[in-house]
Amino acid sequence: MGGSSGGAALEVRDLRREFGGIKALDGVTFAVGPGERRGVIGPNGAGKTTLFNVLTGEVRPTGGSVRLRGEDVTGRPTWQLARRGLARMYQRNELFEPLETRANVALAIGARRGPYRPLTAAPAVELEAADLLLGQVGLAGRERTPARSLSHGERRQLELAVALAASPQVLLLDEPTAGMSPAETARIADLIASLDRTLTILIVEHDVDVVFRLADRISVLHEGRVIADGTAEEIRGDVRVNEVYLGKAVRA
Amino acid sequence: MRRVGSWAAVAAVAAALVSFPYWTAAWESSRYATTVLRDMLVFATFALSLNLLVGYAGMPSLGHAAYFGAGAYAAGIAGQRLATDQLHVTMGAAVLVAGVLALLIGALVVRSSGIFFLMLTLAFAQMVFAIAFQWTEVTGGSNGFPGVRRPSIGELDLSAPDRVFMLVATVFLLVTWLLWRISRSTYGRALIGVRENERRMRALGYDTTRLRLSAFVLAGALAGVAGALAAYSARFVSPSDAGIGTSVTAFVMVLIGGAGTLLGPILGAGIVLYIERVLSSSIPYAQTVLGLLFIGFVLLARQGIIGLARRALALATR
Ligand SMILES: Nc1ncnc2c1ncn2[C@@H]1O[C@H](COP(=O)(O)OP(=O)(O)OP(=O)(O)O)[C@@H](O)[C@H]1O
Ligand SMILES: [Mg+2]
Repeated sequence: MGGSSGGAALEVRDLRREFGGIKALDGVTFAVGPGERRGVIGPNGAGKTTLFNVLTGEVRPTGGSVRLRGEDVTGRPTWQLARRGLARMYQRNELFEPLETRANVALAIGARRGPYRPLTAAPAVELEAADLLLGQVGLAGRERTPARSLSHGERRQLELAVALAASPQVLLLDEPTAGMSPAETARIADLIASLDRTLTILIVEHDVDVVFRLADRISVLHEGRVIADGTAEEIRGDVRVNEVYLGKAVRA
Repeated sequence: MRRVGSWAAVAAVAAALVSFPYWTAAWESSRYATTVLRDMLVFATFALSLNLLVGYAGMPSLGHAAYFGAGAYAAGIAGQRLATDQLHVTMGAAVLVAGVLALLIGALVVRSSGIFFLMLTLAFAQMVFAIAFQWTEVTGGSNGFPGVRRPSIGELDLSAPDRVFMLVATVFLLVTWLLWRISRSTYGRALIGVRENERRMRALGYDTTRLRLSAFVLAGALAGVAGALAAYSARFVSPSDAGIGTSVTAFVMVLIGGAGTLLGPILGAGIVLYIERVLSSSIPYAQTVLGLLFIGFVLLARQGIIGLARRALALATR
């Protein structure tokens, strides 16, 4: 067996997923070590979000396997993977729109405890923890605002708070700074950089500066395949990557 | 102090409700009013149970009368077969049968959502109705099940009309209290989470299928309680108690009053029964009025009367 896979936080082998005739994932293999920050970049439609959907069990792979902290979890339901420490920030926010930001985060915090307490309200400590987290992502003072009344940037901050509130061991971030102002982007990048180093993070991001700053290693996805895998330096110098992605990103 | 004050107010209203037949005894129409209010409370209990699904969990069941009817038949048949009028036996049978039925049907339907959920719950309820209609030896078939025994608690006989009313009012208050607690609990919050974003709930680690099933069973069991109250009240169970008309009526009550609120289904039950029972004798086309009212709420005020009241209050205090 592959020696490098022994202590991987997340490992995928030959992952495949087709939609009709489109090969969204065409044999993806990689391993991410505990505490590693892995950037995943690639052009639109490369399969990045599909990869996350397969990792979280929301989309079934047509082939291949997923191991989470050593355990084969291929085909497991999403909620079980979440209970094993996998959390996710969606590219398109998945929030509880009419609920206050505090209630959004409290639902994430309460997941560990479980919902079957029909007569008792959420303990005060959980609400306090929710407010603390909201402060960390930059939503202090917005605790009682319904999610749907937030600005775009604030909604991204809440989406991140909800993902963090589950206290994950492996965190998937799908374009965390998309659509944010430069100031908001800097703030979120700082926050991600400051997260506990034992937390394993996969980050999909089109903002190349952000991803090169945050990631220890970067995997480049193109048409469902990993076409390059390496440190920031190696990826910057890679001819193919510049051809399919980075060159274009600079022009855009 | 304010807390004490509001508790005192709630206690006073509850006491007034339960003792309604006594303090109205001098009225000329006390008997009639007691009967109408009793049936309003039975349907309010039923509508509250449906609201747990429609309003909180976001599961629009069009077959909730199946569990109401199952509870009504179970209370009547248990009393007859076991030759008892003890409340804990007949009410227990109603809760058990309705709850188990909801578990069986729920296991098959809770994975679906939206219009499919609506149609599946309706289809299974029609099967329950067909059983009630055709299993003549047990249910009385199309003639219905007559002679339901009114309950006793130990030696305390509750068969007199005033006593039946007190039982209905007390159970209604208990169910209201339970749903009030649930609506503020982490469980109620999780159901709202499922309603608002099931995908996110799964990604957070909630087994949403199980959550939906638990709500379906709880709502079914509480509908069974309402069914038993209906059977005690009318001393009779008709297959139509489990039929689509009864399901739709409860749905209309929830929507007119305000889905996802505690008071909404209670108000809705009161209004619908008022139109059906009281207005229908004095004005023609009462059913048409009800239908138009329903359409009006669906088109113009999705949050029902409670939603309208909240909007008015927000405008007034701005
Ligand atoms: N549910 C789906 N049904 C059909 N096709 C899909 C589905 N999900 C993704 N695809 C297709 O799979 C391919 C990969 O899409 P994916 O969303 O994974 O790309 P991406 O790398 O996240 O792109 P972007 O940078 O634009 O977010 C695309 O061609 C897309 O149209
Ligand atoms: Mg994407």
